[in-house]
Amino acid sequence: MAASKPEKRPEERPTGLVWKPLTTAARQFAKSFVRPSTILYPYERLEDPKFREKVAVESGRPIGVGEIWDNYRGVHALNIATCISCNLCAFSCPDLCIDMVTVPGGDPKHPKKCPQIDYGKCSYCGFCSDACPEGCLTMTTHYELSTPKRSEMVYSPQRLFENYQHKLPMNPIRLARPANEDAILLDAPLCIGCNACARDCPTNCITMLDVAKPTAKPGEKLPRRIWKEPVVNDSDCVRCGTCISVCPKECLFWGTHK
Amino acid sequence: MWVNMGPQHPMTHGLWNLKVRIDGEIIVDADPEMGYLHRGIEKISEDRHYNEVVTLMDRTCYVAGLSWETLYITAAEAALHIEVPERARWIRMLTDELQRIGSHVMWYAAFVQDIGLMTPFLYGMRDRDLILDLFQSFTGARMTYEYNRVGGVRNDLPNGFTDRARKVMDWLMPRFDEYDALCLGSDIFHRRCDDLGRLSATECIDLGITGPMLRSAGLARDLRKDRPYHRYDQVDFDVATATAGDVTARYLVRMEELRQSVRIVRQCLDWLDKHPGSVLAQELPRWLGAPYAPVGAEGYLLKRRYPSGTGFSAVEEPHGEAQAYVVNTGGEHPYRVKFRSPVFANMSGAKSYLVGYHVADIPPIMGSVDICVGEVDR
Amino acid sequence: MATTLYSVSDAISSLLLGAVGSIFPEPVHGWLTSTDVVTGLAVLIFCAILLVASMINTIMLIWFERKLLGRFMDRRGAMHVGYAGLLQNFADGLKLFRKNTFMPREADRLGYFTGPTAYMVTSMILFGILPVSSGWNGGSLPLSLLLALAVFSFAPLFIFVSAWSSNNKYSLLGGMRSAAQMIAYEVPILLAVVAVVILAGSFDLNTIVLEQQNYWFWGPLVVALFVFFVGMLAEMERIPFDLPEAEAELVEGWNTEYGGMLFAFFMLADYVRALIGSLLVVLLFLGGWTMPSYVPTALTSFPLAGIFWFMLKTYAVFAIFVWIRASLPRVRTDQLLRIGWMRMIPLALLSIVLAGLVVLARCLPVFGCVPTLGG
Repeated sequence: MAASKPEKRPEERPTGLVWKPLTTAARQFAKSFVRPSTILYPYERLEDPKFREKVAVESGRPIGVGEIWDNYRGVHALNIATCISCNLCAFSCPDLCIDMVTVPGGDPKHPKKCPQIDYGKCSYCGFCSDACPEGCLTMTTHYELSTPKRSEMVYSPQRLFENYQHKLPMNPIRLARPANEDAILLDAPLCIGCNACARDCPTNCITMLDVAKPTAKPGEKLPRRIWKEPVVNDSDCVRCGTCISVCPKECLFWGTHK
Repeated sequence: MWVNMGPQHPMTHGLWNLKVRIDGEIIVDADPEMGYLHRGIEKISEDRHYNEVVTLMDRTCYVAGLSWETLYITAAEAALHIEVPERARWIRMLTDELQRIGSHVMWYAAFVQDIGLMTPFLYGMRDRDLILDLFQSFTGARMTYEYNRVGGVRNDLPNGFTDRARKVMDWLMPRFDEYDALCLGSDIFHRRCDDLGRLSATECIDLGITGPMLRSAGLARDLRKDRPYHRYDQVDFDVATATAGDVTARYLVRMEELRQSVRIVRQCLDWLDKHPGSVLAQELPRWLGAPYAPVGAEGYLLKRRYPSGTGFSAVEEPHGEAQAYVVNTGGEHPYRVKFRSPVFANMSGAKSYLVGYHVADIPPIMGSVDICVGEVDR
Repeated sequence: MATTLYSVSDAISSLLLGAVGSIFPEPVHGWLTSTDVVTGLAVLIFCAILLVASMINTIMLIWFERKLLGRFMDRRGAMHVGYAGLLQNFADGLKLFRKNTFMPREADRLGYFTGPTAYMVTSMILFGILPVSSGWNGGSLPLSLLLALAVFSFAPLFIFVSAWSSNNKYSLLGGMRSAAQMIAYEVPILLAVVAVVILAGSFDLNTIVLEQQNYWFWGPLVVALFVFFVGMLAEMERIPFDLPEAEAELVEGWNTEYGGMLFAFFMLADYVRALIGSLLVVLLFLGGWTMPSYVPTALTSFPLAGIFWFMLKTYAVFAIFVWIRASLPRVRTDQLLRIGWMRMIPLALLSIVLAGLVVLARCLPVFGCVPTLGG
């Protein structure tokens, strides 16, 4: 409440009335003729290292010193050629802005699918490029994508590939895989040998190997199944989990080899 | 006469409504209304992977995104029983303090704009830009950082970052004196701000008001000292306090905190220079692994259950004491996430520090609260 | 006879009418070149020149403030349209022209539309009264200073009318503040002007400037200058006294409900008043278009030198207004009124006493000159 007694603060009250702010502003006024802090954005760009250097020297401000644009998370670039259609980017997207759409070039039975990104939804979190096992989906320093049409905010794989071809500077951060990474394990008694995992594996690291058909004991009924079981090549596996999600019997799971 | 100051009003700095009843130019009643910016972040969190919640944290408070990221992520790590590498803790402390500088400078800019001075607004934004440059160089974004992950941080600081940050700190320190010259050096500033919005420490405690507002009333309550998180027990700094509990005192506390933050940042940079190492825990389960997507977690969880637990963290955020509570029931998503926003409590007490003053005093008083509606409404 | 604005427009008029008249047969030709018609057109041309010149100056004043304020704030100001943003304000004006003129449903139609228009017109009238250089003025009246101040003080009325009629709480509060503020600062301004009048011995602005041929009045009347300057800050509603439109608490003050061209009227009239305020400071205290005798003659005798120096001084005075705007926060209503009534009026009275003393001192035989006052 206002009723309480005001406290005396004699040492903080200025003596020169309004002189100090006036001189401070005037000093800045004189300084700004050397180089104002603002950047004439469409004409001058901080991405240009030479320009950054110039500004830093002229204004004395440590503005944009160093490689601040290296890690920038801007529009994506996609290398269609190396994309393995593993779906990891779409899975990892918190905004559900990535759709896997068919691109020409796959075989007709298993069409090749590459990410299509809706920048109207994208939050540029970078989870997709972090998740990409092949390093084909990266983020660039390009950030100007305003357009009068919403539909133009949806970037098809081909358009993302154009970004890749234009060789925009890429965000170089590649996260190292943890050493004790989980692998795909098989709960063998459940498997029916249906080949779904091997068929859909984007890296073809699953091979179906024959298992010996046990001889049925009298009275015992053998399960109806194909006598094959998947074997995962761990060094080729990108841990996309496609096999787990297509497995009809839920016999594949994440785990560590004992 | 009831006057609506908001939801679209230059004073509000966000989307909220301050209803004041005025008698001539004197305020006789005040009623803050929040909720215009409610996005259900707590509820959305329940449907997201632990790492994906981080993207929401940047959107709770747009001026202190990294503080809220560390707040959430420390609670989540406690709930998931995950140990964080030492270097990641120091990096988090560094980002917290840089964020405090950014937030306080932004507050200074907005507050002084409220009392009619336009120049410091530009000065504040100019200097905050340098902090944003620093953030951009290691997180890759200027406002929505998405830098923290369960088990550490996304990537290490780039080469030469510490030198760059030191340069920025050296440049900032004289700027703070400039700020003081423009405000404290001006008689009109004192005429506008002295003895406004007075609150005693008891009133602050009764209303749940924390942060610089509480410290300006004379109580040296700072979670960084009282309940050290990250590695605040290993750095040297003073808790800024003032005694008057008015708008000028809050200004003084924040300006002192800026200088103390620079001090902490320098110590962090020194430590980080000497101790290279990993910034992300290596013993993470597959579905929590930071670089990887949370795919197939259902398949994982079908076979074995992750141990459940709860996590709590409290952080001295630039605006006050923020708290987070995360419940993990072994699923891929947190079962419940709850945040305590300091600004919510600070601005809820509007009536107790507005009544009796003039209409023209509302902008400086509410400005001194440092309102960030994003975190109030979540 | 030196060239004056009127002689220039008279020459243009007769030239034009002569040229147009020569293509017509005799009776029409004779009528067109008669003195009445030539004078009538000359008056119209005179008004047009005055209007265009003052509007261009006002708009350039906005540009000047934007650029200057930018430099104070470590930025550049408008840069995009035209060289260094010179045409930016013209572009803004065009944009406002194209906007829809709307009115809140519950607003009072008459007051809502007359308010800004009358505010603009009364502000523009002042350009016809104030002399810019010797002979370059509209009406050379013996009481031009009094008339100027009278017209200048119309503003709070129209601001209050438009604020009240727009049926908005913010507008009403802003309008009331504005009226209170302007009335409070009228008094010290008038008292400060009295000091000038005592020294110059005339209400005619031409005479006041001519009296300053030898010494500018800011020297003896520094107190009056201070009071006048602060009063003008309040009258122009500029920071630190821009409470009526204090955007932090009152959105945009009395022009909250205005948009499009009506808002442009307010905006433009504000700058017209800012220009008038700077002109008055120069006329009353800084010697108008005259320069001290130690300035080389070459600098004061080129064509239109008077106007040049006058505008230079005006813009310099305005630069000080901008400087203050860039570095001071806004005061509170009650503080503003207290400063007005309790500090400025005593100071203004003091300045009158000082002016009287100066006049007396001039009578002393040491200075050997005759007081102007009373012949």
